[in-house]
Amino acid sequence: MFIEVDDLVKEFSITKKKKGIKGAVSGLFRPEKINLRAVDHISFGIEESEIVGYIGPNGAGKSTTVKMMTGIMHPTSGTVSIGGLSVHADRKKVVSDIGVVFGQRTQLYWDLRLGESFELLKRIYQIDSKIFNHNISVLNDVLEIGKLMDIPVRQLSLGQRMRGDLAAAMLHNPSVLFLDEPTIGLDIQAKRAIRKFIADINRLKGTTVILTTHDLDDVEQLCKRLIIINEGRLVEDGPLQAIIDRVTPYRYLVVDTVLPLQDLKHPLVKAIKKEDTCFWMKFDKAQISASKLTMELMQQYPIKDIRLKEPEIEDVISEIYKRRVD
Amino acid sequence: MKSVRHHLIVAAYYIKLSVMKQLEYPLYILGTMLMIPLMYLTGILLLYYMVENFHSLAGWSFPQLAFMYGLGYLSHGVMMVFSVQNWWIGTYVLRGEFDRMLLRPLSVFFQFSAMYFNVIGLMDLFVGAAIFFYACDLVHFEWTWLSTINIILVIAASSLLRSAIFTIFCSTAFWTKRSQSMVMLLNEFMDKTTMYPLSIYPHAVQMVLTLVIPIGFISYYPACAILGKSSSIELPVEISIWTLLTSITVHLLSRLVFRLGLKKYESTGS
Repeated sequence: MFIEVDDLVKEFSITKKKKGIKGAVSGLFRPEKINLRAVDHISFGIEESEIVGYIGPNGAGKSTTVKMMTGIMHPTSGTVSIGGLSVHADRKKVVSDIGVVFGQRTQLYWDLRLGESFELLKRIYQIDSKIFNHNISVLNDVLEIGKLMDIPVRQLSLGQRMRGDLAAAMLHNPSVLFLDEPTIGLDIQAKRAIRKFIADINRLKGTTVILTTHDLDDVEQLCKRLIIINEGRLVEDGPLQAIIDRVTPYRYLVVDTVLPLQDLKHPLVKAIKKEDTCFWMKFDKAQISASKLTMELMQQYPIKDIRLKEPEIEDVISEIYKRRVD
Repeated sequence: MKSVRHHLIVAAYYIKLSVMKQLEYPLYILGTMLMIPLMYLTGILLLYYMVENFHSLAGWSFPQLAFMYGLGYLSHGVMMVFSVQNWWIGTYVLRGEFDRMLLRPLSVFFQFSAMYFNVIGLMDLFVGAAIFFYACDLVHFEWTWLSTINIILVIAASSLLRSAIFTIFCSTAFWTKRSQSMVMLLNEFMDKTTMYPLSIYPHAVQMVLTLVIPIGFISYYPACAILGKSSSIELPVEISIWTLLTSITVHLLSRLVFRLGLKKYESTGS
């Protein structure tokens, strides 16, 4: 595997605060420490050129995992390796081949023109001038950063700044790109531009992308594979469709009849609700295919219209988040 | 060699960027720069009037005191220009600035040391240098090749030492997340201890300032050596060599403390 996360654990020691002055004073002498396990024995591997969505509810341990995978934070136990090198033992070597973008925090020089930050990175990563200019022009094609180059970063809009941050992370041609909520707070157009960029670099350069996000449209449009964590543990890992099928094997059928009917029955279908001539029902797609079911119903009843509904991703994910981790 | 070149190129660009960044706020620079000479002049005037009234301070005449004062402030000036960021370790920790440095393929201590060039600090440096060279004149310092090299080495060593002491104390912010009060305290303490000859303090205090927190090597011992005065605590071998050795040792120690602090940061984050 190109990236290997092996039995990763991160514990934080948190001081419990008691109420009032009395509590504050007693906390000085006998601080009550609790060990909080933010990441709890997580293991997974990522192949080269994959786009993986790393998702979970707030406080699930996503950012902590990303910080450990990028070498910023040391794990309590367990290891992370990228391209065969330990992220923590070989930090300098590993980070020269990864790019990282935190949506909530820019890595650009706030007061200076955007181009200045790129020039600094060029020197830090020792990027050859020819390659540098080539990369800038390629990035300009996708992100349109050319016209932003001379504007101080503080005057860029959030979407423009994010484009700048993405370009900065890709200047040195990293083989892995970590994106921590890159679309947070962006409008639809900016989100589309960012998604297109991610898809493009993955297709053109084969960049491996690890994406944490709360935006399920990001996941649906970009990630062939999803890793879901909750309460610090890995709860699902696989293609989006497979996860959906596993969590809810059900599909919905909405049937409109020509005349109001008393009832609509089929042995493999469960009725959910009825409005006038409209029947909502649920079936297990492992038991019967949608086409077979439709045919059988049409033979039996005077049907005007039939619609098949897939479960909403949002419902599925929220179902997974709600499940207790034991 | 290639690596040295790489570091120099990056450091030069860091300096360029931080100068450009500060020039975005010219009025702030101007205002602060006007304040600094006033601070120094009150210091030197205080010394002058003290010596005027008491004739000498622990056997030191005004020109000699001015020389020591100048040396102390010159090292302060160098520190203000190149390593004032020590003061902000707490803020950097809270803001997660070290995350960014950990993501770069360079040593974090190098990035931290090179990332800021304080334009305002140049004023400290100029005023410190003015007082120092004026005092050199007062004590009739003889400029030969050898004595010039000696002076340059002494200035370099005492600046390195001062910065290293700050790094050590300010690195506590990796644990406490706050460095502001530590900075104020240390600044005040350094002012008082580098301005007057160590010999005015009780023996125990002198020992502490020589062996525990070797502030004496910032201005007192080098001044003794250059002016040919005997220090109250006898040091074996030449004092200048001690100054150099002490500053290098304390510098190495400061990197160790910084690294320990960074370890703490890597285990908890901001």
